[in-house]
Amino acid sequence: MKEIRVSRTASRGIAIGKAFIVEKISLEPDSYNVFQEDLKNETQKYDEAVSEAVRQLELLAEENDIFGAHLEIVMDAVLTQGVHDKILQQNINVQRALKETAVEWISMFEAMEDEYMRERAADIKDICDRLMRILKGIDHNPFDGISEPVIIVAEDLTPSDTANLNLKYVLGFITQEGGITSHVSIMAKNIGLPALVGVKEILDSVRAEDMIIMDAKAGQILLNPEKSVILKYMKQKKVFDQAEAELVRKSRFPAVTSDGHEVSVCANIGSVEEADALAALHIKGVGLLRSEFLYMESTHFPTEDEQFEAYKAVACRLEEEVTIRTLDIGGDKTLSYFEFEHEENPYLGWRAIRISLEMKEMFRTQIRALLRASVYGPVRIMFPMIIAIEELREARGLVEECKKELRAEDIPFNENIQVGMMIETPASVMCAEEFAKEVDFFSIGTNDLTQYMLAVDRGNKKVAPLYNSFHPAVLKSIQKVIEAGHANGIKVGMCGEFASDEQAVKLLLGMGLDEFSMSAASIPLIKDLIRSYSYQDAKQYADTYRCR
Amino acid sequence: MVSQTIVVKNKSGLHARPAVEFSKLAAKCKSDITVFFKEKKINPKSVLMIMAAAITCNSEITIECSGETEEEDLKVLVNAIESGLGE
Repeated sequence: MKEIRVSRTASRGIAIGKAFIVEKISLEPDSYNVFQEDLKNETQKYDEAVSEAVRQLELLAEENDIFGAHLEIVMDAVLTQGVHDKILQQNINVQRALKETAVEWISMFEAMEDEYMRERAADIKDICDRLMRILKGIDHNPFDGISEPVIIVAEDLTPSDTANLNLKYVLGFITQEGGITSHVSIMAKNIGLPALVGVKEILDSVRAEDMIIMDAKAGQILLNPEKSVILKYMKQKKVFDQAEAELVRKSRFPAVTSDGHEVSVCANIGSVEEADALAALHIKGVGLLRSEFLYMESTHFPTEDEQFEAYKAVACRLEEEVTIRTLDIGGDKTLSYFEFEHEENPYLGWRAIRISLEMKEMFRTQIRALLRASVYGPVRIMFPMIIAIEELREARGLVEECKKELRAEDIPFNENIQVGMMIETPASVMCAEEFAKEVDFFSIGTNDLTQYMLAVDRGNKKVAPLYNSFHPAVLKSIQKVIEAGHANGIKVGMCGEFASDEQAVKLLLGMGLDEFSMSAASIPLIKDLIRSYSYQDAKQYADTYRCR
Repeated sequence: MVSQTIVVKNKSGLHARPAVEFSKLAAKCKSDITVFFKEKKINPKSVLMIMAAAITCNSEITIECSGETEEEDLKVLVNAIESGLGE
């Protein structure tokens, strides 16, 4: 038996099962030589690979536009000519010819000044990888061959990897790379599977079919344990699973502290489907609906009716509140049908409310859809990334104009719809008192606030350890915003990761936070934690942090 | 042989999507076509060549067609550029 310890963990849970190793497939060309008379044959192999790639891409293009562009590129006459010429002139095999041609094109695009063109290098690489896989006879889906529940062990997993994965057969994830905010961590958290990431020695230590026990909370991995150890962990797992089921069962009760202080605990969601799953967890409110999904999954700016139907579908499913954040793109989120100009500093650039206030027709379309949906449930409108009172007034002004239009058109909406804002910029923290007088609620977005307050890019590995929402500057900001809200009679929520941090809950409760919003899977535990505290205790605890 | 000089108006120039549209159109034309941009001579039937030329917004390009259908082909391509290639 071998034991591996992991220091930072992203999710909880115990998994016991066989390892399925996701092979990092080598796309290096084979080095076989080709006789002069067989060179023609090699060019034919390329043409056949192109035909197969076209077949694959035509299917994919029906689902996703980007593959339509890949289709054009893979059929490109100059690309084909380049590969053919290399085979015939340098007497090399088709794989080496493809590799050399690919490298030439990729480096040409990578050298371009324009960011968008540089990104096309990734498209060309993807296309050439596809051709190479076909030439080498490598099956496309790395998860083929999983027929029983397994623990997935991989170097790292991208969204396109996990799209191929049948989650029914997954007990847990262990990856060599990645941090607790990586794709795998977030996905595992959302679906409630244990995951351990950044486990440096895992691929060197484990072989396919090895028996693994992973305890994600303890950060422990046991390889090829003895029977007695497996039995012990099976018992622990049973206890854990029962406790989880108990948490979900108790989740129907409100989040009230032992001394009677009630807060609301809501879900963050990013699609209509996610709203469906909330009832089973006894979740009655949505503290953050990211409206971007409507824009990012579409081939055009979604129409008023398309948006209305989606918002209505969510509003109908919830009793307490559905807080819908208006479009928050830019930064790392872009649209396939709209070209964003290259920016040196996208997070400090043209994004979120800044885009909405400039593209007014698009913004009005969204506001009208939100207002119309407000008849069907407790819809609230929330603006992201506000830094100035003028922005807030302009956005609210548009809401009023849209209301007027709807009245004139005799279309019903909730006249008293609540309008609030995210607090995620240092500017909005400093001016919280002024903002509080002109909105119906605040919601603190700690992910961006931490990043902006500390000037730390959390996507940058080199500075990632500096990213810390417990930094006094962040905690003081949170306290200041809550006080500003309460002094003006409005409620203050939080929809960043920090709200579901087990270590932070007591502190936030003591600071007076009214609403905790987080991914649905975290809610039963956080609610249970809140019920285990007394508000008086929590307030004293917050005082010791000297945030007031 | 006929040719015409024209200004590209697409916001990000002839990047991926408009380049694909343009190359599709060019591939349908029977004439031999060359696009001149700065010092470069580009075969517009290849989307990779168009993209690699990095033709930016407000660039002047010259389209040259030769062959039996040169007049119609030039007209089709110029119209397409002027109308923004579906953007």
